[in-house]
Amino acid sequence: MLAINAGGFVVAGVLAIPGMITAIAPGFIGRRREMWMPVAPLKNFPPGETTRAFVDIERGDWSQSLRTQLIYVRREPGDRVVVFSRNCTDLSCPITWDPGSRTFLCPCHGGIFGRDGVPMAGPPNRPLYRYDNRVREDGMLEVDVYSVPPMS
Amino acid sequence: MPVMITRAKKWLSDRFAAGPIYRNALHRKVAKGEWYFGDGATLTLLLVVLIVTGALMTLTYSPNADTAYESVRYLTYRQTLGWFIRGLHYWSAGMMVVMLFFHVFRQILLGGYKAPREGTWLIGVFLFFAVIFMSFSGYLLRWDDRAIHALRVATHMFYNIPWIGEHLVVFIQGGREIGSLTLTRLYGLHVVMVPGLILALVGYHLYLIIHHGTTSRSERAQPVRSADDQRALYKKDAESEKNGEIFYPETVAKSGVMAFLFFGLVLALTLIYGPAEIQQEANLHQTSQPMEEWWFWWYSALIALLPDVIAPGFVVVFPVVIFFAMVLLPFLDRGPYRGMKKRPWAVGFVVCAVIAILSLSSLRTQSPWTGWPLDEAPPVPEGIALSAGAEEGRLLFSRYGCNSCHSVSGHGRRVAVDISRIEGQMSREELFNYIRRPPKDVPMPSFDHMPEEHLERVVDYVLAAQTFPRES
Repeated sequence: MLAINAGGFVVAGVLAIPGMITAIAPGFIGRRREMWMPVAPLKNFPPGETTRAFVDIERGDWSQSLRTQLIYVRREPGDRVVVFSRNCTDLSCPITWDPGSRTFLCPCHGGIFGRDGVPMAGPPNRPLYRYDNRVREDGMLEVDVYSVPPMS
Repeated sequence: MPVMITRAKKWLSDRFAAGPIYRNALHRKVAKGEWYFGDGATLTLLLVVLIVTGALMTLTYSPNADTAYESVRYLTYRQTLGWFIRGLHYWSAGMMVVMLFFHVFRQILLGGYKAPREGTWLIGVFLFFAVIFMSFSGYLLRWDDRAIHALRVATHMFYNIPWIGEHLVVFIQGGREIGSLTLTRLYGLHVVMVPGLILALVGYHLYLIIHHGTTSRSERAQPVRSADDQRALYKKDAESEKNGEIFYPETVAKSGVMAFLFFGLVLALTLIYGPAEIQQEANLHQTSQPMEEWWFWWYSALIALLPDVIAPGFVVVFPVVIFFAMVLLPFLDRGPYRGMKKRPWAVGFVVCAVIAILSLSSLRTQSPWTGWPLDEAPPVPEGIALSAGAEEGRLLFSRYGCNSCHSVSGHGRRVAVDISRIEGQMSREELFNYIRRPPKDVPMPSFDHMPEEHLERVVDYVLAAQTFPRES
């Protein structure tokens, strides 16, 4: 009897353990620590302003959709560049930049962020996620798309 | 001839062993149920509708991130009666969530989880979460704007789980980014795995209901101190003329009426409104004002109303608390009474929960907490003439996004104070300085980037607005 029960557990294990491993695996395949992708030449971003921009994502899977991600680039007067994720830090809803009031507005639960990404109203209590960014020698602005959380 | 039919029936019944099913499941004595006990039958019928319509949709649906959206459009707009199947699926899903809450609340009012029915309730708890998962994952498969942002919101809830949050997001998405694997995973879960789990659990749930019966009239009328007490009482009720009946056809006839009525409602909603609107294709770069499906409105409103100190933790803690509260309920509520008469806390809880769900849902349709750019300047109330300066200020009011948050005479967003009813008299200079540099504790951006002349005009307009009628 014991042998039969043990056999059952062995079969269950043979199915369940590789099953779990293969279900988790795609999260680890080809994982890099950082992924630097070009945005646009820095000269396209007027100093002192916040501008919509796009960055492409390399995924290495079989579908082509969802490769373009909207980001917000803020160029400070002193050439310092801040690149914000367009996802609210409350629940990742897609914020929009309101150039008139110079705020980021979230459409879901009332999150409002100042132009520096600091939360002003609503449920969010973290500032907007910032992409690590650098300017190449040819003047191209690049961001590390892995420098923000995976759902933003 | 009749002899032949009788013999054929007998043969079929014998060889397919129908007798024990008939005796033990159908023609058995049960405690009399009320007509509104048909919520379980309604849920079962809706489950059947969902399985049939869902299976039919898999004949068209393409679980590929590049083509999923187009396949849903094809199903809805080009395939003959595709809209009808999608509509039935959509409205049955929404109705199932409604009936699920009804069912849970009714069992709380009844004490339906009390001995010896704890097992029935515990399986029901898992069914509750499985159905909520289905009602959410279903609309992700549309792969439209609502789907992609709903998915982000859900993954962000997992992100807020301490320590493992980020790993969970990667696990759910099937990678660092939303992509091909995200959709195939959702498809596998929504179409194969969770429905299989639900079928198995529903089967066991029904088996336990046959075994333990539903809460009888005598159980509600007098204290029941143990599982044995309950069994004796139930047996007495089931066999009595007054409190008992035969399950098939008597109970089935009653609960079937409710199930058919709700199916009729689903059918009517499908014919009147059709399936859920398909929005623009899922993408991560277009401006969007997403909204969850209507059965989640109350939860969204609840999150919006929470202060920022607890909001991020709440989305993790709340489902966990609900889960453990439901699991522990039969072990915490061990009083001898069932039904509503001696359990005021149950009545109070259900009444409060229903009022909260309805009022939060209604609040979500207005979303007074949402600021968003508005293209149009607020209208000038009838019979009021603005000075040239104030009129210029009215246009600047819109250009500088003041109307992204402020309403005027009830027109526009309601995040911040209505400009026509500013409390306390502010002088021109005070207003000017307030807008340019709002006090630190006020969640308003500073407008120090505005040229002074523009600011003067906006102040003209705000002062003029004090004479506007307050209601519009």
